[in-house]
Amino acid sequence: MSPRKSERILNLAICLLMARRFIEKSQIRQIVEGYHDLSDVAFERTFERDKDELRAMGVAVETGSNNPLFPDDVGYRIRRDDFELPPIEFSAAEAAALGLAASVWESATQADQTVSALAKLRAAGIDPDPSRVAALAPSIGAKEPAFAAIWEATLVRMPIRFSYRGAQRRVEPWAMTYRNGAWYLHGRDRDKGAPRMFKIARVEGQAVKEGRPGSYQVPEVDLDAAWARIGSGPQDLEAVLAIRAGRGGQLRRNATALPGEAAPEGYQAMAVRYARRPELVAEICAHGADVLVLRPLALRRAVISQLKAVVGRSA
Amino acid sequence: MTSSDQVNRLLALVPYLSAHPDADLVTTASVFGVSADQLLADLNVLWYCGLPGGMPGDLIEVDMEAVADSGRIRLSNADYLTRPTRFSPDEATSLMVALRAVREIASGEVAAGIESALAKLEQAAGTAAPPPLSVAVAGGSADVRSELAAAIEAGTVVELDYTDAGLAPSTPQVLPVKLIVRDGIAYLQAWSLDRAAWRTYRLERISQLRTTEASTLPVGEPPEFGPGWLEQLPDAARVGLKLRPAAAWIAEYYPTQQVRRLQRYLEVDLLVADPAWLNSLLLRLGPDVLAVEPPQAAAGARAAALDALSAYGAE
Repeated sequence: MSPRKSERILNLAICLLMARRFIEKSQIRQIVEGYHDLSDVAFERTFERDKDELRAMGVAVETGSNNPLFPDDVGYRIRRDDFELPPIEFSAAEAAALGLAASVWESATQADQTVSALAKLRAAGIDPDPSRVAALAPSIGAKEPAFAAIWEATLVRMPIRFSYRGAQRRVEPWAMTYRNGAWYLHGRDRDKGAPRMFKIARVEGQAVKEGRPGSYQVPEVDLDAAWARIGSGPQDLEAVLAIRAGRGGQLRRNATALPGEAAPEGYQAMAVRYARRPELVAEICAHGADVLVLRPLALRRAVISQLKAVVGRSA
Repeated sequence: MTSSDQVNRLLALVPYLSAHPDADLVTTASVFGVSADQLLADLNVLWYCGLPGGMPGDLIEVDMEAVADSGRIRLSNADYLTRPTRFSPDEATSLMVALRAVREIASGEVAAGIESALAKLEQAAGTAAPPPLSVAVAGGSADVRSELAAAIEAGTVVELDYTDAGLAPSTPQVLPVKLIVRDGIAYLQAWSLDRAAWRTYRLERISQLRTTEASTLPVGEPPEFGPGWLEQLPDAARVGLKLRPAAAWIAEYYPTQQVRRLQRYLEVDLLVADPAWLNSLLLRLGPDVLAVEPPQAAAGARAAALDALSAYGAE
């Protein structure tokens, strides 16, 4: 960070903002501090880079001509409407929630961006005050090594390529979702020609650029539906379990009581629906003697066999 | 930090200082998430910026003497920068994702405030509006959250219907103080009257609660529940598991100390604060656990498996 460079870019922004018409490059070179002493080549390069930097921070630098007869005489300006944060007001409850947002991100980059956004709101006269909601302390992590590159690509709609479970994948990022404490990328897999969900923790190495920013359209995305598709599938199987009174945790909460069904002394017969046997076997075994399988027989045998494995391993 | 970061900050700093005459240096630095030294450097850049032409009256004025003497910032001659700039895509997205994380554990008025704040931010972001990004936190039932929020606000003791990690039900009496999120899971941080100590309870595992009387307990501030909180538990023990590759998922779901991936199996070191939790994990993993170190750490799971097998009878 050089103070001279910051001064030059800020002066350029003010110059273009105050311009009533498009200002030609040669004029900018004369009036903006920091350009006159540069050679022609250095000026061209520096000016292009400064413009790009302004655009990257969200400042819309417009290109156009003042003269309809000579549209090649291009100049530059910044429209105040595009430059300034539009009028925005928040209620006390909204401002309180905004204040909490500052402490949510555990990743330094996103935390800085959030603080920067909140500083803009404060500069617009809003006072995000989290003290009203001091009893809430949410957080989001972003520990995945590939997170930063994928986040960036998703924001600018840039195709990327990465290694995933041993294979190269070329993806157009559409959306990201944070579930069970981990980040997922949802996008179009170019080789499969279909949408896919990727767990970012499983991306091996880094994600690299595979095309230009903004080079594809993002369709309407239903993240919940996409998530459900990678889940366990429809729960079209049913088991009858015997669950001890007051036990069973989540299994009990998702089960339906079967009052007419016989169960061992101290147990209650309950029906649960499930999608895949291995997950249910694991869940039932975790409850030890508190949850027994009454039927189907195959499930009962699988549970008994897993319990025997637990006994046998440590013997 | 780059010049872009600095210019972006300066463009918000100018309207902020216009809206907050006589702003305090240290307070302002913390609003912008920078050190006081950095803010001084920022002011020194501003000093050289202003309207094109660079005549003395064109430049932004900062009373550097007042800053040095009293830490107060007085800025003038910048009437053309009265509003902050629009959000960059990264700022808008980081802020809105953080707010969605707050919404996951909020209830009542705050939750409603977040919904409306998000809608306003989306509108203000315009073309910088974020791509689809969602955040889901395992936060249990909305009713439980709103009753807890009310009890925290009123300072009342509640009795929880709780199922702990070892899947045993209990009804702890607690004074709730905070709802926190770690790794995508929401917890209640509360003073346990039974244990006379700070405890955390997973919101998902609280099925309901009953309000008792207002508390006069002087409990003070709860301990920091930051990353690595498990390590701070005095009685957490290190347990090593040798696992089949099929059980590799546990490294992504539980706070592991170390993971070594070998040719045909992997070795995972876990910190275990609650033996009942380890028992249910070993029962859940069954034959995918090849060895446990120290071996006696597996004794509880083995006893529970034997107990369950005897409940099935002689099969």
